[in-house]
Amino acid sequence: MSPLAAGPIIPNFGHGNSCVTGDHIFCWSWVRDHWNDTLGPALVQHVELTAIAVGIGFALAFTLALLAHRFARLEHPFGVFSALLYTIPSIALFQLLVPLTGLSWTTVEIALVAYTLVILFPNFVAGLRSAPAEVLEAARGMGLTRRQILLRVELPLAVPAIIGGLRIAVVSTISIGTIAAFLLPKGLGYPIFVALGNPTPFKTEIYSAGGLAVGFALACDAGLVGVRRMLSPWTRRGRT
Amino acid sequence: MIRKHTRRAAKAAFAISLGVAIVIGLFAAVLVRPAHAKTTAAPTIVIGTKNFAEEFILGQLYKQALEAKGFHVSYKENIGATEIVHAALTSGKINFYPEYTGVVVQVVYHHASSPATAAATYQLAKKLEAQHGISALTPTPMSDTDALAVTNASAKKYGLKSVADLKKAGAFKLGGPPTCKTRTTCFLGYTKRYGITKASFVPLGIGLQYTALDKGDVLAADVFTTDPPLAKPSKYTVLADPKHVTGFQNVTPLVKTSVLNAAGPNFAKTVDAVSAKVTTAAIAAMNKAFYVDKQSAKSIAAKFLKANGLL
Amino acid sequence: MDEAGAHVIVAGAFTGAFRFIVDNPGFLATKAWEQLQLTGAALGIALAVALPLGIVLGHLHRGSGVAIGASIVGRALPSLVLIGVFLTVLGVGFTNNMVALAVLGTGPILTNSYTAVDGVERDVVEAARGMGMTRLQILTRVELPLALPLLFTGLRIAAVTIVATAPVAAVAGGGGLGDIIVNQASYRLSGVVGASLCVMVLSAGVFLVLFGLQAAVTPRGVRRTKVAGDPE
Repeated sequence: MSPLAAGPIIPNFGHGNSCVTGDHIFCWSWVRDHWNDTLGPALVQHVELTAIAVGIGFALAFTLALLAHRFARLEHPFGVFSALLYTIPSIALFQLLVPLTGLSWTTVEIALVAYTLVILFPNFVAGLRSAPAEVLEAARGMGLTRRQILLRVELPLAVPAIIGGLRIAVVSTISIGTIAAFLLPKGLGYPIFVALGNPTPFKTEIYSAGGLAVGFALACDAGLVGVRRMLSPWTRRGRT
Repeated sequence: MIRKHTRRAAKAAFAISLGVAIVIGLFAAVLVRPAHAKTTAAPTIVIGTKNFAEEFILGQLYKQALEAKGFHVSYKENIGATEIVHAALTSGKINFYPEYTGVVVQVVYHHASSPATAAATYQLAKKLEAQHGISALTPTPMSDTDALAVTNASAKKYGLKSVADLKKAGAFKLGGPPTCKTRTTCFLGYTKRYGITKASFVPLGIGLQYTALDKGDVLAADVFTTDPPLAKPSKYTVLADPKHVTGFQNVTPLVKTSVLNAAGPNFAKTVDAVSAKVTTAAIAAMNKAFYVDKQSAKSIAAKFLKANGLL
Repeated sequence: MDEAGAHVIVAGAFTGAFRFIVDNPGFLATKAWEQLQLTGAALGIALAVALPLGIVLGHLHRGSGVAIGASIVGRALPSLVLIGVFLTVLGVGFTNNMVALAVLGTGPILTNSYTAVDGVERDVVEAARGMGMTRLQILTRVELPLALPLLFTGLRIAAVTIVATAPVAAVAGGGGLGDIIVNQASYRLSGVVGASLCVMVLSAGVFLVLFGLQAAVTPRGVRRTKVAGDPE
């Protein structure tokens, strides 16, 4: 039996600088010190989370939109589903999926993909429909097959609506993704929840994680606007 | 007229998007697949923790100590409150987490009160858990109970020294973590055992109790005795709890008995060695390093284990 | 946990949810009322700030960047971040959450009120000016009535967003049904689902009330013009 020592050695854990201990409005030193272990990983996780949700959502929405373009019956039930989905608080939807898919990335992604899908699908359908009737007539008159019309006329004209939907979806996903941290200690929402659990809610952590989330969302939005300008120069004069 | 470059651009855009979507979908499928089980002799220790810093620190302590001795550890921080983490243990989603003896007795197994001594509380917890295939390992010297705190100003105003004195305050608001409302170690216990009838409960996220006290949103708040704001000299007064409503709360690591047996004798030895070093002074210092000096639980645990030869 | 077990749990959670609602009507009603108060206050602030601003900007046909940008920025502000930030500034309780939710609701209201008033057909405005109406008369008798449908759409979007987001505010002392939703430990999954169903009912109720209000306030001639709402 190892004898119990007189008591543990309590090392000096090092004092945070006065900015941190005094909880001043913003401590750059904390951001620098904790980029590698807290903020950086959280940002990377958040980017992953978003990319997966939007990627899968895009693929699904695109496929469904192409189907709905052919068979119009899909649209109405989808409209009802999406109206319903948005009234479910995301924090509840995450918890509800846990018994089905466990406490894991999968659960979070399923919920995020669902929210993404309901934004993208109507936008894609509207985009595919946006080709003016005269243009379609002209194309048919030129002898283009249905597939050729889709690829050469309808899709290019749908690009603004597709990108428009993507902008909303990406920003929404980044936003809802912060709530996912309620379930899993991942993403930019986690430092915020942890900071809120501190007897003195730690301002710097909240502001830096929050700033990163907002910055990420705005950067994606600006990036997508750039993509749209590149792909559909004829819309440059139009409104957002 | 649709010009050639637009057509090409559209084709490119479509191909790129589809390609990106497929790549991301594959990436997702690879990332999101569940962790495969290891087929080594020693089982994987899946450590979970509850949803506050002290648990993160304890979790890291056990995790790093076990890893140093060659165990394979999977770590799930911040699963949720007691009820959720314990359910995760019984259902096998985790097989190890640090729990408090009194919480086992009063919250998990719904006894109205805890036994009269710390040792008896541990023994009862151990017995109750054993009936469910869970072993409660040697408890720590430290104890962290719930407690009611008021600001020094309020204490002076109403002459508050013990929980029973709150009856002098008339109708007032008591804040605490949401789970406090229905627990006999908390709101339910305070109001029933001390006959306080005029308190209304305000749920607050863990950690926000001090903000609420400072702003006067609540008169009294349920806090943890090892919280840094309570270290002397403190702006807050902790009300005495002579009836031990909050019980005795030493930490006992709960482990699935099957895992304990499969892991070998070194496992319990390693865990016990860590537990022995966690005194109230030690955990208070570690809490302070986390909350006040903003160190991470990982580095705090590493420093402590190293200083005590456990890493 | 096998597939069948998981489905049983979810089915149980739903039946349990209805039982929870039936067992706790008073409690849920109190919580729902708390949430409505928070929602109403937040919506009120958002309206007071964004509606006049949007209408004025739309009338002057200026500041489209601000108006449209407000929605983009508003969407990029995660509710959790807003709640966290305002907690550090305004403490714990009602006020901080009210302000955070108000910020959330400002975007749709500002953008839609701007777009609505700005988008009134120029010919109609010209005709009104030709009839000798003053600027104020044009605004109140022509532009506003024609703008009502889109205006109300913005209001509805803001209201539903705020109601559905309010549960998160419970972690910062916001109260309401969120207190149950973030506390699965005490109320079990059936409680969480039950409270969520109540939030959905609340959302639907708010939507219907605003829809009815819009119908009551919109002049009949305007009602026939179809206006495309935000696909959100």
